[in-house]
Amino acid sequence: MRAPVGVWATEAEQRPRATDGRAPDVFSRDGHVPMRQFEDGEDVDFAIVGTGCGGGVLAAKLAEAGLSVVAFDAGPFWRPLADFASDEREQDKVYWLDERLSDGDDPIELGSNNSGRCVGGSTVHFQMVALRFRPEWFAARSRLGYAVDWPVDWRTMWRYYAEVEDALKISGPVSYPWGPDRGRYPYRAHEVNAAGLVLARGAEALGVPWAATPLATVSAPRGKSPPCVYRGFCKIGCSTNAKQSVLVTYIPRALAAGAEIRDLAMVGRIESAGDGRVTGVHYHRDGQWRFQRARNVVVSGYSIETPRLLLNSATDRFPDGLANGSGTVGRYLMVHSNHAVWARFEEEIRWYKGPPSMAVCEHWNYVDDHPTKDFDGGYAFMSQGPLPVDFAKALVSNTGTFGTALRNRMAEYNHMAGLKIVGETMPQAENRVTLDEETDALGLRRARVTFSYADNDKRLFRHSLGFMKRMIEAAGGFDAYETSSTAHLMGGCRMGHSPEDSVTDADGRTWDVPNLWICDGSLMPTAGGVNPSMTILANAARIADRMKALAARGELAARHA
Amino acid sequence: MSEGRLVQRRVAGRGPVRSMNSRVTGRSHAAASAARWDTAIGSVGAALIVGLVTAVVAGRAMRRPIDRLPADRAALKVRDGAAILGASVLADSAMEHLRGGFYNPAMFAAPVTAAAVLSASVAEPDPRERTFAHGAHAAGAAVGATGLAFHLYDVGRRPGGASWQNFFYAAPIGAPGALLLAGLFGLASERIVAIEHLERHPRERLRIARLLAACSGLALLFESAEVALLHFRGAFHDPAMWLPVTVPPAAGLALLHHAARPSLHRDRLARLLTGTTGILGVVGTGFHVYGVGRHMGGWRNWRQNVLAGPPTPAPSSFWGLALIGLASLDLLAAEGLPR
Amino acid sequence: MSETFLAPYPDYDVLAKWDTPSWNEQTREVMAHRLREVPGRRFFDEEEWAVLVAVCERVVPQPERAEPVPIAPWIDAALFEGRGTGTHFATLPSGPEAWRRGLESIDREARARHGCGFAALDATRRDDILEAVDAGDVDAAIWRDLPARTFFRHLLLEQIVALYYVHPDAQSEIGFGGPASPRGYVRLGPDRLDEWEAPAAAKRP
Repeated sequence: MRAPVGVWATEAEQRPRATDGRAPDVFSRDGHVPMRQFEDGEDVDFAIVGTGCGGGVLAAKLAEAGLSVVAFDAGPFWRPLADFASDEREQDKVYWLDERLSDGDDPIELGSNNSGRCVGGSTVHFQMVALRFRPEWFAARSRLGYAVDWPVDWRTMWRYYAEVEDALKISGPVSYPWGPDRGRYPYRAHEVNAAGLVLARGAEALGVPWAATPLATVSAPRGKSPPCVYRGFCKIGCSTNAKQSVLVTYIPRALAAGAEIRDLAMVGRIESAGDGRVTGVHYHRDGQWRFQRARNVVVSGYSIETPRLLLNSATDRFPDGLANGSGTVGRYLMVHSNHAVWARFEEEIRWYKGPPSMAVCEHWNYVDDHPTKDFDGGYAFMSQGPLPVDFAKALVSNTGTFGTALRNRMAEYNHMAGLKIVGETMPQAENRVTLDEETDALGLRRARVTFSYADNDKRLFRHSLGFMKRMIEAAGGFDAYETSSTAHLMGGCRMGHSPEDSVTDADGRTWDVPNLWICDGSLMPTAGGVNPSMTILANAARIADRMKALAARGELAARHA
Repeated sequence: MSEGRLVQRRVAGRGPVRSMNSRVTGRSHAAASAARWDTAIGSVGAALIVGLVTAVVAGRAMRRPIDRLPADRAALKVRDGAAILGASVLADSAMEHLRGGFYNPAMFAAPVTAAAVLSASVAEPDPRERTFAHGAHAAGAAVGATGLAFHLYDVGRRPGGASWQNFFYAAPIGAPGALLLAGLFGLASERIVAIEHLERHPRERLRIARLLAACSGLALLFESAEVALLHFRGAFHDPAMWLPVTVPPAAGLALLHHAARPSLHRDRLARLLTGTTGILGVVGTGFHVYGVGRHMGGWRNWRQNVLAGPPTPAPSSFWGLALIGLASLDLLAAEGLPR
Repeated sequence: MSETFLAPYPDYDVLAKWDTPSWNEQTREVMAHRLREVPGRRFFDEEEWAVLVAVCERVVPQPERAEPVPIAPWIDAALFEGRGTGTHFATLPSGPEAWRRGLESIDREARARHGCGFAALDATRRDDILEAVDAGDVDAAIWRDLPARTFFRHLLLEQIVALYYVHPDAQSEIGFGGPASPRGYVRLGPDRLDEWEAPAAAKRP
């Protein structure tokens, strides 16, 4: 049994909670909701590995269509109201803290930066920024001349964005300044905090549009979710349930529709039969390895665990890992460059209040021809509100400041504001997930993540730093300094048009194994210059509908087809 | 092993254990500073209650117990409506301006004037102009109008300018309007009392009655617009939120229609809708109290939720406006209505 | 060194909100554990421990505090318990090994330069060594394949500040609102405060 990360509600980290025909009621402090359960030997329609943006949506929509679903998550099943403290260290318990090797010219930080480990996945700690891709990015190669095209049309995605925005009751501005019409957000935008007004002032001074950020935290009551109280701890887990994470939206729907969620269940291997089809998953729960039979297996473990599981499931028939005939499993891994400019202000900003990014500027996502634009792709940037530890870590890791100077710099916390990009990086085959020789506590080979920026990526973030410095100074900031980091993960098992250079087709079905599917951020062929969660959710909602259609036509193995 | 224990003891000695016991388990420090904050909000609340009670007592003392003529009775009803409006504005502006931290001393003008209007409206109607009530009502109207201008300025000076975002979250445009209305209707009540002196000018009496009906109708439309804006901000998350943006404007239109062409049939319709509007004003207060409790921490977290939740004093302004509308109907009826 | 810490919010204490709606039960439990149950040394040996304590004293000097915020015990505890960070930079050995080698290298760097261990040096000399480590200006024979700056910034500094700024005293000194649940904040604009926030700081020179 692994040692608990937190000191509170440690039993959730040590013993499965979704057992005995019931699962935790996430809207209560200690209650339960009934849960249908399946026998390991029962051939369920879908075994889904992961319960975040991909698996959570899929579990709900497939179960609602009457299909039998068991969804596995390696992490705990939290009840945020009772389990989440206002404490940065305690809340490390929502992250994937198992060591992964980080390699390459620009090795990325994992853990709290981009990897969740609990039911609901990374949406439990995401900062709720709910943006859509620019339509042209779905055809980046043919419309904009870089990277590759998605195998999906933007208008289809537009419909699914609307669906998931409604499911998460996104609170967004009445009119959004960029891109084609997107209808009205279900809830109104939040009041923009002082940190966001810095971006607004700067944008108006520089003559570019800005907007209140569309956020996945409600600005008015929704069912059992109270409106956001602007406590500012969003990044370490919302303790009020105002945040519309998958944990409090799709997971309750999935349970109500008859899906089973297995928490603290680490899937270590997908079993495949002689005919090349998969037959189920081996998972570790409650101290022992078990095997769940399934007609279809969906891998929704995000950009590192998904390729890791496929690679760890190699057999004689598939020596390079499952679904890896093209050799692209683990490849084309992308991050977002997360460079930032920070500055001091005369007034007190107190950026700890409210969600961290309440104002956004997508200007450089929608400008193609500009004399200074010397890069492909785009970037959005947002106002910032890091908690003290987060801010201190960025400060010391970028500047090396220590001693009394460090304490004095940190004492300016309430006078600071920042602008930070979500910068597109190019898909590169050599940025990838492979298996390390070293194994984890369960004997599974660890992931090795290799990442290096392309020249284009570097031009992009240099451009952003120059622009944001001008903007923050135009807003009244002084003593500006820069930091670099990365955020989010995309790609690693991309979908595509052909089995030669992608892992799955447009439906997330692997080219090589007809009943093995992928549904998460690893499918993304390009990264775009916006936070990926809404795109992953929308793509999952679309894939769920495709699966339902295929099942109805008998083109997918399911009992209820 | 002994080494480890040594270290442990050393660490424990340096650690915050001792200070913890005094700072955390001893609650005096926490209680003291909590009390300091409570004093701040508590004193505003207490001032509010004292202001309300004083205003009502002072105003009532100025009313003469006499037999009422229909116009007098209508005038009193108008004043009751204006008083309720004034009370609503007093509480609402005090809360909203507390939320704004009273960063501009001019923000005190709203609750102070609203208290004066409330007090004046409770007093006996008096057609003379050199009375406290007249001055207070006039001041209410003036401060309301100024507030309106100031709130518009506040919207304009923020990043985003005249945008939904600022109409939602900058100084609310509609709120000073309620003070303006309370003052204006207070002044109107003085004119209505003067109707007695217009016995020989029935056309003038009818004109005043129709004007009052039209004004109360417009006021209801105006208030409904503000409610619509704020309930839109709340995404109409509860179906009941549609009620105050449908019934009061319907009542407003019915009043306007009746004012334009008075008839018995239109009187009945306007009476029904306006009466319902008044009831909504009271029921709405209950909804808002419930709404505050739905916010995180409920009423235990009242210091945040009273300010951040739905404004509890706001819905009662419909009650006040409805009373004024009903008074205008009474006045019109007293003039005799065609079928 | 000449620089002194200028406390912008000298009278503010996030612990004063312990019994208010800003703190919930779980946060009180977590914080009580942090404040009362400071662990003893279990992972490092005595020498490593002395270096670590000396490093922490220079990274976050707290001369004004009778009871400095404890940092080294928590680093030791995390390593003892095998608590990961999710990231193992390929250029570094695994977490526990990197810590041991890094601290040992700092100590040997001190011996090479001054003839005595890091913990025995005065503040100025300790700072000089830490600055050299950050600059990568170190003896390659001592550090060998351990990248000094990566170790210093990404393990040492990041972990030390992570442990310092979760402590209420550190949060109070920067005027952070501290724990906030169920109660959050109402006033979000610049220079606007709720009554339960740190009173505005005096303007700094």
